[in-house]
Order: sequence, then C-alpha cells, then structure tokens
Amino acid sequence: MTLTPDQHLRFKSWLEDHRGILVKVIRSFAPVAADAADLQQELLLQLWLSLPSFAEQAKPSTWIYRVCLNTALTWRRGTSRREKHLAPEAEITQLPSDQASPAERVADGELLEKLYSAIRLLPASDRAFILLSLDGLTYREIADITGLTENHVGVALTRARKRLAERLKGVTHELE
Amino acid sequence: MNWNDLEAVWKHQELPAGACADVAMLKNAFESKRRQLAMALAVRDWAEASAGILVAAVYARIGWAIGRDAWPMVTAIIVILMVTVFFVRERIRSRRKRLGAHSPLLEKLNADIAELDHQRDLLLNLWRWYLGPITFAMAIFTLTLLRVAIIRLPPELWATLLQQPLIWALLIITGTGIGFLLWFAWVINRKAVQKRIEPRLEELRKLQRELIGSP
Repeated sequence: MTLTPDQHLRFKSWLEDHRGILVKVIRSFAPVAADAADLQQELLLQLWLSLPSFAEQAKPSTWIYRVCLNTALTWRRGTSRREKHLAPEAEITQLPSDQASPAERVADGELLEKLYSAIRLLPASDRAFILLSLDGLTYREIADITGLTENHVGVALTRARKRLAERLKGVTHELE
Repeated sequence: MNWNDLEAVWKHQELPAGACADVAMLKNAFESKRRQLAMALAVRDWAEASAGILVAAVYARIGWAIGRDAWPMVTAIIVILMVTVFFVRERIRSRRKRLGAHSPLLEKLNADIAELDHQRDLLLNLWRWYLGPITFAMAIFTLTLLRVAIIRLPPELWATLLQQPLIWALLIITGTGIGFLLWFAWVINRKAVQKRIEPRLEELRKLQRELIGSP
C-alpha cells in the first residue's frame, strides 16, 4: 500500500489540525516517556495504515479518535518497541500557551497534571470516555466512535465521571 | 471547580505547534516497516503451503514409481493437500475478517475477540484438522509401502530382514521420533494458547466488559 499524493497531503494536514488528539491520547494512556514514544509511533503508524480506507464519510476527527483509541486501548506496553530514530521531528513538544498569564499557566498546568494522573488511574474504557467528553464531543459523536448507543454512552460517561471525581477528590467537586 | 472548569483547562492545555512531523521520513519508515511485515507474512504463508505441497509431491513421486499397487497413496496425497488448502483458506479468512483501526471501538473489540477465540479453538483442536490428518496420511503411506514390499519381496528375504536387530531398531526409532514430533507440536501449541492467546483474550474481554459496562 503506497499512499497517493492526495493521501500524503491529507496525512500532513491531519497532523497539523488534529495533533492535539494524539497528544491527549498519548498522555492519557502512556505515563512513562519511553512508553509515550512507543505509543506515539504506533498511533502514527496506524493512522498512516488507515488512511487509504478513509472515504470522507466520517469527520476526520472522528476517524482519528477511532484509530487512536482503538490503538491505545489494545496497545501493549513494550511489545511494540519501535526504532527510536523514527521521526524525531514528530516528538511531542510543549509550547507555551499565549492565552493565560504565567501564574494562571502554572495553576492550570498543575491542575492538568493532576487531571491526567487521575485519568491514567481509570480503567482504559473510562479513560476513552473522559477524554472524548473533555474534548467536548456530543453523545452522538462519542457513540459513533465507540459503537455504543447514545443512551449507553450517557450511562458510561456518568460512571466514568464519578470514578474520575473520586480520584480527583480534594481538587475538584461537583463533577457529576 | 466543576466539570465545565475541567473542560476549560483541558481545552486550553498546551499543545504542540502545527505539523512538525517530517512526513517524508514517516513515509519511508512506515513503508519499509510495511514491506518487512508483508514479506514476513508471505514467507510464512508460502512456507506453510509449500511444505504440504512438497510432501504431497514426494508421495506422488514414490507412488508413481511403485505403480498401481500404490493406489492407497492417492488418499494420503488428498489428505495432505486438504490440510494445505485449510491453512491457506484460514489465512485468507483471517485477513478478510480483520477490521481496521478506524472501526468503532466495540465493533473492533468484538471482532478481535472473535478472531482470537477462533485461533484458540484451532490450536486446541490441532489433532482434528492438522496432526490427525497428517498422522493418517503418514500411516497410509507407510502401510502402502509395507503392503507393496510384502507383495514384491521374496518371503525368504522378509524372514532374513525381520531377524535383523538393526531393522527393528530403525523401525522403533523412526516410530518414536514421529510420535515425539507430533506430541511436541501439540504441546507447543497448547503452551502458546495458555501463555499468549488466553491472557490476551482475557485482557480484551475485560476491556469489552468495561466498555459495555457489565460487571
């Protein structure tokens, strides 16, 4: 399978426009740096392989979420070590946000770190639901990605938020 | 702090700047990986298929040299070829049924579990579709050779041969060796089921239970 120039361009634009999805999935599913690099390469590889099947019927973000979550959920740490020299330019870099003051950034950064830590303590499927919900996807979109019904998504999300709230006790309240 | 605040922090988290991935480099790396994988799969498929074809060809050649008396060997050849066809059909079926990573999570999980379950059943029932037919074919082949030898060799020669301890030793060693190989194939496949397939199946089932929310 060799990608056409169009698919090549699409892959590039997906990385430009939806790189945040990859970053969030990686941070939620792989806490250790070595694992993160491993998972990142697996996600990129799976996205690359899935590209020819993309028929533009699905939204690119839905498609990317599916590929990334399917890969992350069934990814086995350490079993798919990739060459470390692969795509060094594709490393996830943290750039400062220009929308908040330094103090706010520190506070938000700490909260975000706690949030990620709490998410990583959740069962894998809850992690997926929380991630999709925090990204503001509707029940319909989450149902499209997971293959569950909207009602089922509602129940699963309530359960996942409850579990997240338990792990975030002392940091937040009223999450349900 | 409530859910909306968390959502706001989440949405404003620092993310990497646009596309800094070298797509050309990714392309080269993935293409070479894909080629390696495709080559490994092709070698495995051909090795499995050609082993059966080779054995069938050897049986056919020996049968041809013996002539009409070797007619039962046709059954052995058919059985060996059937095992080969089964192998190839399984590979094709497995590839066709595999869902891409872009499928909905539950659908993909269900398909992966069904496939792994099928692989487990195949390995646990190795005698039914692989070792059994192979043993049956080898038995037919050996008995046919023996029958032809009884018909064609003079009785005095038989009497002399059967008095040679070396002949008996060879027969016992060959029989034991074949028996050991079959047992070994059965054991390593069972071990593969216990050590690799069942733990993975359990992981996927746990994930499935979590996803659909059953206890």
